[in-house]
Amino acid sequence: MKTINMLLAVVLAGAVLAGCRTTAGTSVVMNHETGGSVIYEGNTRLHNALAVTAVTYDKVPAGLNRVNFQLTSLIQRSQHVQYRISWYNAEGMEIDADTRTYKPLNLQGLDSVTVSGVANSPAAVTSRLRVREWRAAR
Amino acid sequence: MKPITNVLLGTAMFASLVGCATAPRVYESELDRTPLTTRIEPQDIRRTVEKMAESLISDAGVLDATKGERPVLDIEPMKNRSQMIVDMQSITDSVRMRLLRSRLFRFVDRSTSGADIAIMDEQAQLGLTDPRKAIRGGKQTAAQMYLTGSLTEMSTHVGRITDRYYKFTMILKDLRSGEIVWTDEQEIRKVANRPMF
Repeated sequence: MKTINMLLAVVLAGAVLAGCRTTAGTSVVMNHETGGSVIYEGNTRLHNALAVTAVTYDKVPAGLNRVNFQLTSLIQRSQHVQYRISWYNAEGMEIDADTRTYKPLNLQGLDSVTVSGVANSPAAVTSRLRVREWRAAR
Repeated sequence: MKPITNVLLGTAMFASLVGCATAPRVYESELDRTPLTTRIEPQDIRRTVEKMAESLISDAGVLDATKGERPVLDIEPMKNRSQMIVDMQSITDSVRMRLLRSRLFRFVDRSTSGADIAIMDEQAQLGLTDPRKAIRGGKQTAAQMYLTGSLTEMSTHVGRITDRYYKFTMILKDLRSGEIVWTDEQEIRKVANRPMF
């Protein structure tokens, strides 16, 4: 009975740990025409550890949109996440989706970091930041 | 009963672990996966290309140098000063693709000049092309600037720890003045801890 209970405990623990690995993250959509931004949080663990505290935008000298997202750590230990900034045209279609990469970001405890992206086309009017946990990238 | 139950359970676990492994498990991975080694990997190249292209697009100095017109660029292959075998041409090809799609730059390609000449010769000599429509040499656009760069590497091995640092550097040079109009670099550092067993 003891052995069976131990085996069951091991199987359950494995199932719980496997379920903890989620690819859902935090997304911020910024409309450069209206200036409005919306935050979507799909991961409770990330929501408790990281906050998007500021979103600013301007244009580079060539006339393309640029966006800056300020990310603030809410926990005291360092954390590793990945982020990607993608761009959409007025019809909501993503521009050059395959060329946008996830970049690593190491946040120290309670630190703030600003990440920025530049549109790769004059047709880009909306930007979207997606942040995910580092372990989600397999 | 107890020993039999334990044997049955152990057999069932062994079968579930081994029974599924009948063939290598292959799956399509995403392009920006977590690193597997301390060497340069595809996701490092993609991030470098994105950073360099964005930096070049955002820089005011390039527009100043060309007085607001779309400059004509060429690519000089980047130098690989690391110990790794890296296709440097592939990196500059990707940067060129990103810059062309932004519609802020124009490019010429010297590497295909031989093909250009062969096609023009065919048009002029074979007699198949209307001479009024044939393309003649001496009218192509000239490059005003060129992109080049280098990759360097620094490695440190201490016990079971391997620490590798890479630096991609790119420059944009103006052919008319000889000045470097833009430069940027991407630093990558990877650390691996070899397990004891």
